[in-house]
Amino acid sequence: MSRISSAIKTFSLWDLLIGLRVTLRNFFVKKVTVQYPEEKTPQSPRFRGLHALRRYHNGEERCIACKLCQTVCPAAAITIESDVADNGTRRTTRYDIDLFKCIYCGFCEEACPTDAVVLTRIYEYHMEEPGQNIMNKDKLLALGDKYEGMIASDRTTDAPYR
Amino acid sequence: MNQDKCTIEINGVEVEARPGQMLIEVTDAHDVYVPRFCYHPKLSVAANCRMCLIEVENVPKPLPACATPVAPGMKVRTRSRRAIDAQRSVMEFLLINHPLDCPICDQGGECELQDLAMGFGRDVGRFSEGKRVVRDQDMGPLVSTDLTRCIHCTRCVRFTQEVAGIQELGTIGRGDRVVISSSIEQSISQTVDHELSGNLIDVCPVGSLNSKPYRFSARAWEMQQRALVAGHDCLGSHIFAHVMDGRVKRVVPDACENINETWASDRDRFSYEGLYADDRLDAPLLRENGNWRSVSWPEALAAAAAGLQERAGQGLAALVSPSATLEEGYLLQRLMAHLGSNSIDHRLRRRDVRGQADEPGVPWLGMPVAAVEKLDQLLIVGSNLRKEVPLLAHRVRKAAVAGAGIGFINPADFPVFFPVASTMTGSPDDFWLALATLVRAAAGDGELPAGMAGLLAQAPEPQAHHHQLVARLRDGTRAAIFLGQIAQRHPRFADIDVLAATLARLTGASLGYISEGANAVGLALAGVLPHRGPGGKPRATPGASACEIIGSPPPGLLLFGIEPEFDCAAGSGPARSAGDGRFVVACSAYGSESLLAMADVILPIATWFETEGTFVNAAGRWQSFAAAARAPGEGRPGWKVLRVLAEQLGAKGFRYPDAGAIASELRGLCSDGLPDALAHARLPVAQAPVAGSIGLSELDVPIYRIDALVRRATALQQTVDGRAGAPPAAAQGA
Repeated sequence: MSRISSAIKTFSLWDLLIGLRVTLRNFFVKKVTVQYPEEKTPQSPRFRGLHALRRYHNGEERCIACKLCQTVCPAAAITIESDVADNGTRRTTRYDIDLFKCIYCGFCEEACPTDAVVLTRIYEYHMEEPGQNIMNKDKLLALGDKYEGMIASDRTTDAPYR
Repeated sequence: MNQDKCTIEINGVEVEARPGQMLIEVTDAHDVYVPRFCYHPKLSVAANCRMCLIEVENVPKPLPACATPVAPGMKVRTRSRRAIDAQRSVMEFLLINHPLDCPICDQGGECELQDLAMGFGRDVGRFSEGKRVVRDQDMGPLVSTDLTRCIHCTRCVRFTQEVAGIQELGTIGRGDRVVISSSIEQSISQTVDHELSGNLIDVCPVGSLNSKPYRFSARAWEMQQRALVAGHDCLGSHIFAHVMDGRVKRVVPDACENINETWASDRDRFSYEGLYADDRLDAPLLRENGNWRSVSWPEALAAAAAGLQERAGQGLAALVSPSATLEEGYLLQRLMAHLGSNSIDHRLRRRDVRGQADEPGVPWLGMPVAAVEKLDQLLIVGSNLRKEVPLLAHRVRKAAVAGAGIGFINPADFPVFFPVASTMTGSPDDFWLALATLVRAAAGDGELPAGMAGLLAQAPEPQAHHHQLVARLRDGTRAAIFLGQIAQRHPRFADIDVLAATLARLTGASLGYISEGANAVGLALAGVLPHRGPGGKPRATPGASACEIIGSPPPGLLLFGIEPEFDCAAGSGPARSAGDGRFVVACSAYGSESLLAMADVILPIATWFETEGTFVNAAGRWQSFAAAARAPGEGRPGWKVLRVLAEQLGAKGFRYPDAGAIASELRGLCSDGLPDALAHARLPVAQAPVAGSIGLSELDVPIYRIDALVRRATALQQTVDGRAGAPPAAAQGA
């Protein structure tokens, strides 16, 4: 008996049909595939992507060169040099983040007393030349200026839970 | 029961204490920590911060530990509910007006208030009213102010009163409107100008007074702390260099009770700025057809060795900075001996070497530094003491405040901030005649010391105050006579020295020398003298001394760590003209204009911040240190440069593995102990002095012009002393 049924199953490709049944069923199930880059997955406001440095509304840099982010960074990705600015305040003369070293843990943002360094929701970026992995102060401030709307609204959304 | 000791109980443990001692001293001695802000072991007790409140049994209220004297049988609790509650409440009050700006405060990370707030502060403030803001004051180029952070402990005020000796800071206002200010009567310039004012930075427990040159350039936790010996004066103060990324960021004092206590002079604290001056050399330089070219070390060394070798037979001389390390001095001395010359000297500002054969081999203080404050009679001859060795002046001040009679014989009435028993001033040419008068007074009616008649004939008749001073010196149980740097630079130093030695002998006082540079004692031991070899042993054939070398430079010249136009007595250094056939090798950290004009090869060497080495201080203490930072570019430690140069010149036995090997070799050549300055009788020198008149400006080198490093320290040059000492040309340019 078992030999006959086994032969039938073998020649009728029964196991294949059983398998194809899953395939057939999925033809009619709602699709979960995201058609990146045309479509994108939804993001949490807490998403930790590319870094940025923010400014106050009057255009003044928020960063005060306290070096807490550099100190807390577990990957030693941040390098800061500080000095007295022309107006007598404490300011950075250099603020570099090495994106190859960064592990996107977000400790820098947590440590920042002025909400100057933030991780934005930007995750689409690449480098073509050696050295482009170093985000210097100008690049970080430019990112902050460009995405201030997104950064501010994300912080507002998340504020009740902090 | 023993009168000096009693037993008290601290936190249930019985300890011994002295009745009348403050409780905080007892708790500190037994490792029981009581929080404090205003208490400082070197300052008087103010008891105004109230942080050290503790509970004493049978006393209704908590008492401040810093101002409560020990009484027998006291039962003290420092960690009881009541004590902790009192301390926490005081902390809450202190934090009411303290800004939350730790992230931008240079004190952040090393702040006593921050530390204690972690232990005694509440995590949430209850104070919702407006905070007080205080306007900052410009206190000069060294100390920055953020007076809003002040907690009114008045340590700074007490420091200026009790240690500096002139009250440059005071409190203005009452209650919560108290502000620390330099706008008080005694501070005319409204800046802190005292040569110890940098210590305000250390005594301030919060970030109210901070270092201006260091401001905002690093955080406390990023730097490495490396121990050094300060190289600007003969005390050899212990300091720490704080280094980040191989650069010295700031200097702070290291506690050494026998030398600098807990203080550092401004010159030691802020001179590091000169390390990174624009004219710091980062590669060897070689002159070719009148033009300078950066070359590699082998090329520069080969050129230097060839030039020196060629002139070895015609005459060679070396001028060495009095702040060169012992190792550098010893190697140079050996190198010159190999080249057949005894003309090597570090006494660059000396004008008179007539009596050098009879002088003590090593010009030292004659006593440990700490013993100076125990003196009861002190006569200082030819010294602008506060500017020459600021922390020695502090020791003398302590002695004076304790009641010692301090006398000065000076070419000008240099201000000092302590009671002075007698000051005798005269013209720069003959102020020292007062010393001759004192010798006459000391000799009395008896016979004048043999051979002294000629010298004493010029002296005026002794007056009553001369006799009093001699009597005081005679009566003092610990009396001393110090010869300062002005005396040593004087064209009649040989006479001054003989007179001082005679007076010391007649009165029973000891004789000491306040030597120039960091290592004059060490270099004398190393044999960097034309008339004495290593260990202070006389040379058979003395070479030319510094003033003779400068006056008539030999064909070959080696300059080590000096800038001839500033570091030499004549004011210009050895003359040089194009095509004179001379060959000058300069080992220098800086390519100054004068060196570029006169040298043929310049070898970049490390400063004392960047080399391992040894300084012997004025009290004869050997102090070795390791490099705190790296010399920029191709700069190398001087002893390594000399080691290679000697090898190239074919000298044997220069393969020392490290600087320690050089120092220990020299140590073997030095007999135990330094010579007594009065070991043998001295007679006036027969040779006539150099004729001519001398001005005060030639004798007194300004405090911040003393060596190449300090001349480049920008903040120090902006101080009142720095501006006063600037050369006329620079002052016009500025």
